[in-house]
Amino acid sequence: MKWSTAAVFAGVGVAGILAIIVPDWHRPGYSEQQTAFRGQNNVQFYTRAEASPINTVIPAVLPAAAEDGPKATEVYKNVKVLTDVNAAEFMRLQQALTNWVSPKQGCAFCHNTQDWASDEKRTKLVARRMLEMTRYVNSAWGGHVNPTGVTCYTCHRGQPVPAEVWWPRVLPEQKKFLDKFEPWEEGAPTVTRFFPNAGFDEYYLQDNPVAVVSKTALRSNDVGSYPVAVRVYEMMMQMSLQIGVNCGYCHASRAFQDWNQSTPMRWVGYYSLRLIRDLNRNYLLPLSTVMPQQRELVHPTPVPVIPINERGQQPGNALLTCETCHYRLPNPMNGVNMVKDYPGLVGHDGPAKGWDDSGSSAANQKRMEEAQALLGPGDPNPNGKPIGAAE
Amino acid sequence: MARFHTLYTAIVLEGPIERGLHPTPLPRIRGPLPIIHSRLFGRIGETQIGPIRLGYDGLLSVFCGFIAIEIIGLNMWASVGWNPLRFIKLLPFLALDPPPARYGLQIFPPLHEGGWWLMAGFFLTAAIFAWWFRLYRLARADELGTHIPWCFASAIWLYLVLGFIRPILMGSWSEAVPFGIVPHLNWTATFSVRYGNLFYNPFHMLSITFLYGSAVLFGMHGGTILAVTKFGGDRETHEIAHRGTAAERASLFWRWTMGFNASYESIHRWAWWFATLTTLTGGIGILITGTVVDDWYLWGVKHGFAPQYPSIYRDLPPEPKEAIDVKKPFIVVPR
Repeated sequence: MKWSTAAVFAGVGVAGILAIIVPDWHRPGYSEQQTAFRGQNNVQFYTRAEASPINTVIPAVLPAAAEDGPKATEVYKNVKVLTDVNAAEFMRLQQALTNWVSPKQGCAFCHNTQDWASDEKRTKLVARRMLEMTRYVNSAWGGHVNPTGVTCYTCHRGQPVPAEVWWPRVLPEQKKFLDKFEPWEEGAPTVTRFFPNAGFDEYYLQDNPVAVVSKTALRSNDVGSYPVAVRVYEMMMQMSLQIGVNCGYCHASRAFQDWNQSTPMRWVGYYSLRLIRDLNRNYLLPLSTVMPQQRELVHPTPVPVIPINERGQQPGNALLTCETCHYRLPNPMNGVNMVKDYPGLVGHDGPAKGWDDSGSSAANQKRMEEAQALLGPGDPNPNGKPIGAAE
Repeated sequence: MARFHTLYTAIVLEGPIERGLHPTPLPRIRGPLPIIHSRLFGRIGETQIGPIRLGYDGLLSVFCGFIAIEIIGLNMWASVGWNPLRFIKLLPFLALDPPPARYGLQIFPPLHEGGWWLMAGFFLTAAIFAWWFRLYRLARADELGTHIPWCFASAIWLYLVLGFIRPILMGSWSEAVPFGIVPHLNWTATFSVRYGNLFYNPFHMLSITFLYGSAVLFGMHGGTILAVTKFGGDRETHEIAHRGTAAERASLFWRWTMGFNASYESIHRWAWWFATLTTLTGGIGILITGTVVDDWYLWGVKHGFAPQYPSIYRDLPPEPKEAIDVKKPFIVVPR
């Protein structure tokens, strides 16, 4: 072997060794969960790395208030939502939601501290509507959110605007002949926010059927065209990212459309889309008239790789996705129930319109667990429960 | 006996410029590039570079291909506001999409709504056809068989089905594949889901069989010839009539291994047919998807080859009623 050939071999060998030892490899701990009969490779993987502080730091419960005493409506003026709690519990809840939503800004974020009853600050009008929404969710959509329940903290996590929301985007002007801008958010910190939120318009806001696959073997013209299928695909990928699962959590990937081969969680997902539409249309969209917002776009300093329409500020109002509550966990905040300590956060609505008990999270989670038990120790489920269940 | 001199090729031949076996009536483009010998190319093939016979069909192909690439590239660049950094950063995601469904099969939709896609498709197709014609003419001029152009024609068939024939049968250009790296992959994934899992399409199965089979045949044949190169196996056709040669040893190896061996001619028929049938069957599979068969999984169930697995869930709720109501209009919110 000539020395030059030997040198090439040595160079390739050294490069190969460097490629192995230089990168920062790490093997995330994960657990598996089989979600269909064996042989279909329908296995969920839950990565423990996703248990970030935002999901594990839970605020302490405030000391319980006196159980008796006058109603809040009797002590304070202009109380419109929390009419069913006493004055002590009312103040305790006010303190809690300040901690959850505006810990830095304090009471003055919403209130005129000279006249606490005044509605002059728009943030107070928004906060009142949000309180109504929370009470509505915990009662009307209890089937989806119980037993964990929803508090302000579920979404806000100590920030006035929750970290994971979507904004209907203002696109640059369409030029007559050439320019075709993609609705990407190019400075997005996460993949979820990078891709077009066109699917959000159609499925998180509007009542479009999420059905693209035919029910018949031969052609029947009863399904969406290819562009519709693309939107559904995008939305489904977003949804699975947002709750930290993959397709097999709800579907058998060999026949996505077949309900008989789906897991019980598909029913939960199906009704959760109705929940998101309900809240976006009836609570969050109308807020744009109460308090139109400006958001700082991704990069405060101009970066050449960020398009002009994504720099500076953008008007509009934030809407919900699954991630707004879930923060990439199948069970938000690992299932910690914060509502039980704050009875004022549960309203008195009946089941929401269009709600069916088959979408109940608790019942379907039970079905999942029964199936896991049936699979027995011989099946590949070595690490037990998903990270959302308990660590 | 030859020994390995380089990494890739056993022997690098270098000699006088090879002018070809016989003069052909076809003009060749000689200048401005000289015919040269390159040691670098010698490591992976012949050392001689040139001459190229481009011809009118070749020129037309290169010209049309250039226009198509320009249309695609400039549209992608325009879509990022002519920013070169964003163009590089986002190139894998950039697309030139076919017209939206509402334009059906219109030949002149607005330029920014698929007009450019149709034009790029036209020029790309023209380039491909001119290239096919060039292959055919060169094969005939060299007094060869026309196997290579016909194998290429099979690939063109799949290309035409995807971008032209099937969209026409479906009544809309929107069914065609977009130009772009990730976008055409997204198209593939969505297409499979949309038609109820393409893996249950028997022609897809055949195409995959021939594709993987091509790789196996390529591995077997390439490995065999390299393994007998030390006996002169690279001069295979000289040896097939003689005893004890590389050719006989290679045949013997496979007969020992699996009781059967392809001949030095038939192995190339195997390879040619596998390659040709990959795209031929693939094209048929795409053509009947959506035009004849809407849900390949249900088609597989109907014909008894898609297996039924038991559900591991007891008392699943009934299918939500609204799920089958797909007649509602699809609204797009103006952004």
